[in-house]
Amino acid sequence: MVVDETPIVSIENLVKDFRPGFGLRRKRVLDGISFEVRRGEVFGFIGPNGAGKTTTLKVLMGLIRPTSGGARILGHDISEVGFRRHVGFLPEGPYFYDFLTGRETLDFYSRLCAVPKPERGRRVEELLHKVGLEDAADLRLRAYSKGMLQRVGIAQTLVHDPEIVFLDEPMSGLDPVGRKEIRDLIAGLHSGGKTVFMNTHILSDVELICDRIAIIANGRIVHEADAAALHAATGGEVDISVIGLDVGIAEGLERDFDVQMEGRGERIEIRLASKHVDEVIGRIVGGGGHIRAVAQVGGGLEDLFIETIGANRQQAAR
Amino acid sequence: MRQWGTGAALLLAACCVIGLSHGKLSPLPRTAADESYLPDPAMAKLTSFGFDALLADFYWLQAVQLLGGPEGARGKSHRIGALVDLVTRLNPRVDHPYRFAALWMTDDLAAVHKANVLIQRGIEAHPDDWRNHFHLAFNYFFFLGENQRAAEVLATAVVLPRAPVYLGRLAARLRSDRGGLSAASAFLATLLQGAEDPQAREAYEQALQQVETERLARVLDRARQTFRERHARDIVSIDELVTVSPSVLERLPPDPFGSGWDLNKEGVIVSSGIGYRYVPQIDATNRQRIRQTTEGRTSGG
Amino acid sequence: MSKRLSVIAVLAGHTLRDAIRNKVLYVLLMFALLMIGMGMLLATLSYVERDRILQDVALSSIRLFGAAIAIFIGVGLVHREIDRRTIFTILSKPVSRADFLVGKYLGLVATLWLMLAAMSIGFVGVSLVADAPIGPSTFAALGAVGLELAVLVAIATLFSCFATPFLAGCYSLGFYLIGHITRDLRAIGEASDSEMMRTATAWLHRILPDLESFNWTIEAVHQLPISTSEFAWAAVMGVAWCVAFLTVASLVFERRDLR
Ligand SMILES: Nc1ncnc2c1ncn2[C@@H]1O[C@H](COP(=O)(O)OP(=O)(O)O)[C@@H](O)[C@H]1O
Ligand SMILES: [Mg+2]
Repeated sequence: MVVDETPIVSIENLVKDFRPGFGLRRKRVLDGISFEVRRGEVFGFIGPNGAGKTTTLKVLMGLIRPTSGGARILGHDISEVGFRRHVGFLPEGPYFYDFLTGRETLDFYSRLCAVPKPERGRRVEELLHKVGLEDAADLRLRAYSKGMLQRVGIAQTLVHDPEIVFLDEPMSGLDPVGRKEIRDLIAGLHSGGKTVFMNTHILSDVELICDRIAIIANGRIVHEADAAALHAATGGEVDISVIGLDVGIAEGLERDFDVQMEGRGERIEIRLASKHVDEVIGRIVGGGGHIRAVAQVGGGLEDLFIETIGANRQQAAR
Repeated sequence: MRQWGTGAALLLAACCVIGLSHGKLSPLPRTAADESYLPDPAMAKLTSFGFDALLADFYWLQAVQLLGGPEGARGKSHRIGALVDLVTRLNPRVDHPYRFAALWMTDDLAAVHKANVLIQRGIEAHPDDWRNHFHLAFNYFFFLGENQRAAEVLATAVVLPRAPVYLGRLAARLRSDRGGLSAASAFLATLLQGAEDPQAREAYEQALQQVETERLARVLDRARQTFRERHARDIVSIDELVTVSPSVLERLPPDPFGSGWDLNKEGVIVSSGIGYRYVPQIDATNRQRIRQTTEGRTSGG
Repeated sequence: MSKRLSVIAVLAGHTLRDAIRNKVLYVLLMFALLMIGMGMLLATLSYVERDRILQDVALSSIRLFGAAIAIFIGVGLVHREIDRRTIFTILSKPVSRADFLVGKYLGLVATLWLMLAAMSIGFVGVSLVADAPIGPSTFAALGAVGLELAVLVAIATLFSCFATPFLAGCYSLGFYLIGHITRDLRAIGEASDSEMMRTATAWLHRILPDLESFNWTIEAVHQLPISTSEFAWAAVMGVAWCVAFLTVASLVFERRDLR
């Protein structure tokens, strides 16, 4: 995948204060955020609940006015309206007019984006097919499941064939199948050359699809990284669960690789540093043991996440 | 199923309680207790918030309901005046209420004067309608005895569209101050013709009958005078006008009230149905006397 | 420009479609028609001028329920969209906030005029049945009600931009009531001795929408002529007030955070 290095989104020193209620003290929700998103990448904007992800996205969408600082999308200031012809947005837990059918919803949004009439019908059908809603196209949205709504939402971001789409928590609240479907859709967009900006706190999804990430905590960017760098830095541990493990081999493993073992009936759980995993598995299998499961414990993004957030919390506490 | 049963039972119980409380509570609106209260017209207009026409109808219907009782309009002039004032201030374009006031506000001279103010307002609102002029003239003539002013008002009405041609003659007659019974008849006949409801018609018919009775009573008065000249004595009963020969009358004219002629306590010829002689002009004392006479008769007979 | 207009048209059509699905409107409409029918009943209480009473009651009902519907749908204009979170997707499209407001507003006006048309048919119907007069003034008065409702919904739209529906409803009702008495107040002020009172009431009449200019109940019911120029000026003033309220509404809405 070719990634263009010119920024498609650039955020500079964004500050946003909320006043929770009349006369109450201002609360700084975004505290000088700056980062860039490059053309063609899938950008993961991650952080714990309440970190300010949605707020950032709403500022970018012009729904919230920044207190200070600013941002540009496709070279346009975010206070403009016209360039939104090239921008798609999926809000968190999107809601649509439930008295419209899926097809009518997409038609409505394509009219709003002034998609020319001859193109409109074709695009709507194409998108219904793309998100797998052809069969439900004439059902009112109130009869849709959460996953279907999310797919309508994604289709809606695409009716005007935007260059960049912003997705707020596109996978949250969905079952594993739904999540996979959305992931595949995003992957499809990526391969179609679109830029994707995605808010999430589900790290496994990020690892699977993002090219680059930024971590936000308490309204500050605490980390920015490429996916490649993430993979290289992968540390952490691996759990292996084994049956029929020879006692001698077990002792050898404990001695040589500093593993921790725990017996559960005839099953033994072995935790070891992930860099030794090949060797350890080789020994177990060679010694007549049967491997039942192998699982990554922490490491990678999750460790990074917890570390950076933890450090930030401590800082904030001080 | 059980839920339905419980629901139905609750509903039934509630309905019973509602019915019971209806029996305990007075069905009359609370304001009915203080019937005399009416808002100030300017305040009413302000607080109608643009719904003045609707509010006018509301008070108009109240005014109409006033006539419903057995007493009719008697003794209600003041309230009728207040209501019509309110109605016509809220919506000056109303038509009938002005004449309604003229028709029913006859309790005393003050009431008639107040009615004239209202009908004058009606003339301002509908300058082209001869009927309001006519009612005003009638009030001046009939109740207040101001024939000249009545004539003036009629003279302005003569030229109005659809005004009857005899208004001019009537005006001329009043101007020469020969008002008299035929003028009253002419007024009343016109009013009767234009009467817009049965109650008004009845009132005019009665007044017409009284005028007719008075006319006949005056015929009998003249016959009595002739009798005195011929027989050098007064009659002791009405019948003597016919029975004592040479008779002054061939027969007695029929009494419009159908109850026959009689001499009352003061020796005045009256229709026994009324018991007093008709007085075209009312004023407080007249009204008082009339009422006493009537009540005296009913309790005595 | 044409793109903006088409966006506004799309939003207006969509709003109309959304509004006419609201069951509360039908309940209010039913009540209005019931009241118009009630006019026939009330009229029988009087022995004269039944036509007048019938039409007074019917036209007043139209005005009252029209105003109720206008305020009811107007105050939810922004709030409902935020509440349903449908506003986020719309405003992330190339739709400015002003276009959004105007589109929604026009949709509501269309809704109101549709309701007004239904009530007017009821009015003309009972008038024909009762043989009450129908003439140019009748239609002028009904048209003026349409203007008043447009102004009223613009007022409600303004308040819906920054207040909860309940408060916006209260404010709009206040405007409605005051708008109908500024003339009377001015007359009272003119009659008073105090110079300050005179100036104050005159200015009150000038700076608040004078909704009595759209009230031709009496003229319609008594079939009095309504001069073309007077109607035209009322229309001009009505449109101007709508523009004024929507402009302020846009300015307020433009600054608002949609969280
Ligand atoms: N409508 C609001 N009023 C006041 N504070 C808010 C509002 N919405 C969000 N916040 C605050 O802003 C912070 C960031 O919220 P948000 O951007 O929604 O977080 P995230 O999307 O990362 O979970 C939170 O601490 C939250 O309390
Ligand atoms: Mg969020």
